[in-house]
Amino acid sequence: MAAVLGLIIGVVIGIFVQPDIPVVLQPYLPIMVVAALDALLGAARSYFERSFSDRVFVISFVSNVLTATLLVLLGNQLGVGSQLQTAVIVVLGIRIFSNVSAIRRFIFQS
Amino acid sequence: MCRPFADSSSKAELMSRRKQNKDMLSRMHSQHAQDSQNDQMQTGSFPVVKRKAKGIRTPNPIRARMTTSILIVILCAFLGFGYAIQLNNPTSSYETMSEEELTRLLSETSTQVQSLEQRKGELTSQLNSLKAAANKQQEAERIAKENEQTSGILSGRLPAAGEGVIISISQGSKDRIDASTMFQLIEELRNAGVEVMAINNVRVVTSTYVSDTEDGLECDGQILDPPYTVKAIGDPQNLQNAVNIAGGVGSRLKVKFGANVRVSVPDKVTIGEIHQSRQYRYAKTVE
Repeated sequence: MAAVLGLIIGVVIGIFVQPDIPVVLQPYLPIMVVAALDALLGAARSYFERSFSDRVFVISFVSNVLTATLLVLLGNQLGVGSQLQTAVIVVLGIRIFSNVSAIRRFIFQS
Repeated sequence: MCRPFADSSSKAELMSRRKQNKDMLSRMHSQHAQDSQNDQMQTGSFPVVKRKAKGIRTPNPIRARMTTSILIVILCAFLGFGYAIQLNNPTSSYETMSEEELTRLLSETSTQVQSLEQRKGELTSQLNSLKAAANKQQEAERIAKENEQTSGILSGRLPAAGEGVIISISQGSKDRIDASTMFQLIEELRNAGVEVMAINNVRVVTSTYVSDTEDGLECDGQILDPPYTVKAIGDPQNLQNAVNIAGGVGSRLKVKFGANVRVSVPDKVTIGEIHQSRQYRYAKTVE
């Protein structure tokens, strides 16, 4: 409930405010979004497993985003930015799928 | 956790057994039993330390839930915010591209431009050739029209008008005008550069003949009756001179036949007579 509310608020703010994202940050924004989505789905899964902890959620959210960003930054500095970006996206995508499947199992089998 | 307990129990057992029988065989037997028991012990799995039941929690459950909700809202808002921004600026993708990506893009674009230029060149040359062909056709048409006009005038197929002279020759008072004199007149006019000519109502063309008959002069199968009227289109001065020159055909007509020759120069001579073109039976054009 709160998650959906927060998503709506964020999208509305993003649409109406139209802020200038610094150019340095722009290549990392999609990665950040995907990492945050992964963290959010992980939180949803833990909520269904009745082991949700707000602290764990916040830390996993921030650490996911930071790790993904730093990995891509490292890749850019090493000259394999696009490949590493793909790798991060793939890994996060796999995690998102596994989280979603876990949530689905909780919804349809309980 | 359970291993020391098991060890101690086996040790106690061993001690008791040692007290009971101290011979070598039984000791070895007991040792073997102990080893096999030890071998069956599960190793490699660590005991899982369970977290303390609820951790450290604020005593107020409502406040804790509020904090959680607010945190979730804030983080989800971040996520939605980033998502919306990323949706809204797809145009700045070039800025974020790496150098090699840009190079690749540039080379792709230039290749595309080259192929398009080539295509354009092909199409332009095609257009030019088509235009040239159209021009050529137009030119050919124009020349054909010109030729048609020229040959039409030449062969007597078309009526003509222009500067020229009209020569009136009355009947000879001394003698009938003969064909050779009339033909001489025609030749003189031709020498003077006549372009179109007609005697009475007969168009004079290349195949025109004049002959003597009992009824008078015959020209192209028609009997010419005096007075003769010769219409000629050409340079008026030259034509006039050709007739009136001393000792020429004009004076011959006057002296020999006693005819009255009058040359008038109107502004415009119109020759409406036409000559029916003949069908050629033997002559064929060379392809």
